[in-house]
Amino acid sequence: MESIALTINGKKVTCRTGDTLLSVAEKNNIFIPALCHHPELKPYGACRMCLVEDEKSGRLMAACVTPAAKDMAVLTDTDRIIHHRKNIVRLMMAEHPESCIVCSKGNRCELRALAARLGIAETRLYPMPNHKPYEELNPFIVRDLSKCILCGKCIRADHELVATGAIDYNDRGFCSRPATLMERPLEDSTCTFCGTCVSMCPTGALSAKHAGYVGTPEKQKDSICGFCGAGCSLAMGTSGGRVVEVNPLKLKGSVNGSTLCVRGHFAHDFLNNAGRLHQPLIRTRNENGDEKFEPAEWNKAVSRAAESLAEIKRTHGPGSIAFIGSPKCSTEENYLFQKIARVMFGTNNVTSTGTINGQTLLRRMEEKTMGAARTMPLSELEKAEAIVTVCFDPDNTVPVAGYHVKRAARAGTPLVTIDARKTRLAGFAGARIRPESGMEPNARIPALIYALADKIADPGGTSTDFIRQYTSGWEECKAAIDSLLSAQPLSAAEEREIKRAAQMLSGRKIGLVLGADVMEQAHGTQIADAAFDLILAAGSIGASNAGIFIPAPESNTVGAMDMGMAPDLLPGRHPLSDPEARKHLERLWNTKLSPDPGLDLCGIVEAAESGHLKGLYIMGENLVRTLPDPDRVANALKKIDFIATQDIFENRTTRLAHVVLPGSAFAEKAGSFTNMEGRIQSFSQAATPPGQALADWRILGLLAQNMGYPEQYTTIEKIRQEIRKTVPMYAAIGNHRQEWIKNADADTPFSGNGHRFTFAAVEPPPQASGQKGFTAVLGPLRWHLAGGTRTSRSARINAWNRDNLARLSASDIGSLAIPEGGKIRIVSDHGAIERSFVADPAVLPGQVFVPTGFSGNEAAALAGIEAIRTPAPAWRTCRVSIEKI
Amino acid sequence: MDPTQFDRSRLHEIIGDYRDRKWALIPLLQEIQEEFGFIPPESIEPVAEALNMFASQVQGVITFYSGFSLKPKGRCVLRVCRGTACHVKGSRSILRLVKKELELEEGETSSDYQFTLETVACLGACFLAPTMMVNKDYFGRLNPTKVVSVLGEYRKDKEDD
Repeated sequence: MESIALTINGKKVTCRTGDTLLSVAEKNNIFIPALCHHPELKPYGACRMCLVEDEKSGRLMAACVTPAAKDMAVLTDTDRIIHHRKNIVRLMMAEHPESCIVCSKGNRCELRALAARLGIAETRLYPMPNHKPYEELNPFIVRDLSKCILCGKCIRADHELVATGAIDYNDRGFCSRPATLMERPLEDSTCTFCGTCVSMCPTGALSAKHAGYVGTPEKQKDSICGFCGAGCSLAMGTSGGRVVEVNPLKLKGSVNGSTLCVRGHFAHDFLNNAGRLHQPLIRTRNENGDEKFEPAEWNKAVSRAAESLAEIKRTHGPGSIAFIGSPKCSTEENYLFQKIARVMFGTNNVTSTGTINGQTLLRRMEEKTMGAARTMPLSELEKAEAIVTVCFDPDNTVPVAGYHVKRAARAGTPLVTIDARKTRLAGFAGARIRPESGMEPNARIPALIYALADKIADPGGTSTDFIRQYTSGWEECKAAIDSLLSAQPLSAAEEREIKRAAQMLSGRKIGLVLGADVMEQAHGTQIADAAFDLILAAGSIGASNAGIFIPAPESNTVGAMDMGMAPDLLPGRHPLSDPEARKHLERLWNTKLSPDPGLDLCGIVEAAESGHLKGLYIMGENLVRTLPDPDRVANALKKIDFIATQDIFENRTTRLAHVVLPGSAFAEKAGSFTNMEGRIQSFSQAATPPGQALADWRILGLLAQNMGYPEQYTTIEKIRQEIRKTVPMYAAIGNHRQEWIKNADADTPFSGNGHRFTFAAVEPPPQASGQKGFTAVLGPLRWHLAGGTRTSRSARINAWNRDNLARLSASDIGSLAIPEGGKIRIVSDHGAIERSFVADPAVLPGQVFVPTGFSGNEAAALAGIEAIRTPAPAWRTCRVSIEKI
Repeated sequence: MDPTQFDRSRLHEIIGDYRDRKWALIPLLQEIQEEFGFIPPESIEPVAEALNMFASQVQGVITFYSGFSLKPKGRCVLRVCRGTACHVKGSRSILRLVKKELELEEGETSSDYQFTLETVACLGACFLAPTMMVNKDYFGRLNPTKVVSVLGEYRKDKEDD
């Protein structure tokens, strides 16, 4: 690129072709004020604050939209420019309300800062108050448009960054304002409350709704969001050690840039919930037989847990104790947790709820890709030649991953969506492949994917070089596809969309985003395999800006898996059955590892019921809320002799425990999360844990100490050192704030070892079961993460109680003859729940979508414990009948 | 006549002709307005979907141009010129008279959707000042008698229906 020389304020500077004057000045530390400029948004030139003067012609130009040119001479702060800037700010102030003293934007208001800098106290203009709508009925965003200066940042962020399109300018001149469609309130618009506009707004026109805190936070601390697997970088505003505000961190190369989602932005008030645990508790029984929890010293509580569990191990053997960790806890904590289980207690009964939420798919794809898809930066999606999504609903799972896909689609990248539900993302797609009603919709999806794979694998009748060189099984797969499609031919509409999709994808490398919960639904394994085969057909593994992206549902779904938090998995993604891996760890840990897999979550519940399980240690998980069939889980837990639990809230599970240890949420401790991209993000403590609560890794350190283990885990660095040594994939953990999984030990076909990716054996379609009733899908909506253990403690999220409704197709509502506004009872083999309902065009006839996380996650009652048996825990799909109430 | 009861299939026919032609937003809106006399708010979302735009963007364009209206207008749209030349020639009195005759304020539409009263900054026929337009017809050198007779014509128009 050509280099250009010019002078700014007499100083010689150089820049590249296409740079704007504003960016050149910024790079050379020359300050030019601007209100509508944002580095991640396209230049706009609305506020005219960045006026600069051309020395030769005297012409005034807006620096943010003027490209630098050769031999330009620019002045940035002549009297004339200052005069103009002052006038612009005076005009803005003249129509601005005089409410700076009570405005929660406080010292962060860019308009106020600029007025102060230019020395404008009084405008000496006739005040022209601009009364525009004021809105604060939703629990997230307060809109006071009388403070709007029409910089357009909110609108541009809405269109360019998160691609939601909820707002745009309405009217013109003095009346113009950002408005939703029909000027409806935000909650009735397409707004997702991601809050990106709130963080961008230079004035108090948009602010987060606060309960109990007004003004500027005392400190700003960096952190990583602990909700979904995107792993957004956060700037946490704290006051008195409490988190009072959250914004996206200005950090180059972060996964989220300037965006967040509703959970990341607004749900962190769960940290200040009154239900937090403040001190260790021990359950005691008085002489009347009444049980109650009594506060205890840390040492007493931990030694009580250690002694009780050691006693159980002595009398009943290591198999009688189980350990359940959490994908919400850090990588360090999960490492230490499984080490305690495997080394100190000698049991493989170690698992986490991640095994039924996302990890099933991650593990299957790890196996299929042979480790060739471990690091998949989301930014590559925006550079992809084409994108295909399979059963991926970003708006309700990992919104930030969805922003990348939507931005790419809006910039012209061909996008194909394949899903039984009509998601919002489908609105961005050039081809939408959706099964038609008439049979179980998920059962049809593999056939549709294979029909597409068939069309792109054989352009002109010969399979591609990639297929010949790196794969095996294509001929058999192709024959199976042919017989599959002749048994169940494509309908005209399916044929049309698949043809269109094939045209869009032909000759391109594909970035494929596969919804993480797909394997928790019926026919999920076949869908996942078909998606993988589509990638092989397009030769898109190992290519840059292509491959398989899996939006992990929780902040450390990947990290927990990598630390071996599963009964059949060792740290570093090595199966327990691998003798090499066992030997390696036995040497490092100086212990003997059993090759027999431990109990999975279903096995743990069953063993508790049968009385074989005597002791249970839980870290960061409310099992009675998260697992299916809560009553059965609670009854099973009651039969266990001793339960110790580390949690941040008092909840249904801690009430069944014998020792309760107060842990810390992610913002209150140091640690690392591995996000869906394979990015290991380390963070330090941002806020103080309540009362005597300790970081979970410290509690585990105390436990190890009490068990008499020689290693002392008193610093996070000590655990990281051990991980670096033990798990080569994590050799860089904690070195810098952002590191990546090391892929050195992956044995992919590209390393020339003779291995080949294999096409799956295509299964014949299942026979239509002829069962009556509906297929219920238990899935998330964006407000609650997984079972909602933390989001349901957020006052803001709780105030949003509008989305609890079950979703049915309009035709089913008609044929059930249920009156609008009424309630239905959804009954499965395992339980029944009552819900209001709404007609949703996204749902096919015969389906009912039941959102999880709401009302104590009661939706879990519909599924059965047997459904979570690994390796295919298809608990999200269940047969139900619907009754009118 | 109730203009809110418009022919929806005709609307979708018009939109269908413009599918995926994002540049044609304004011609499409013009055609809708030509057909129905206004742009029914219900058409914003289908237009946005057909052109791959956000509905809020389409609404933004409609509300930006004063030539587009989201509210139904009368069969006869009166535009009284309030330009300088007409003002000097007494257009204020003309406007007052029209308001009194039609019992409408500026921007209003009569309940029977016969008349809509608007003012414009200049009709470009200053040599005929004071002027007004009814739909596409000009009326110049207005005086009270002429105004009453013009309005009478258009009222009659209604009785003929």
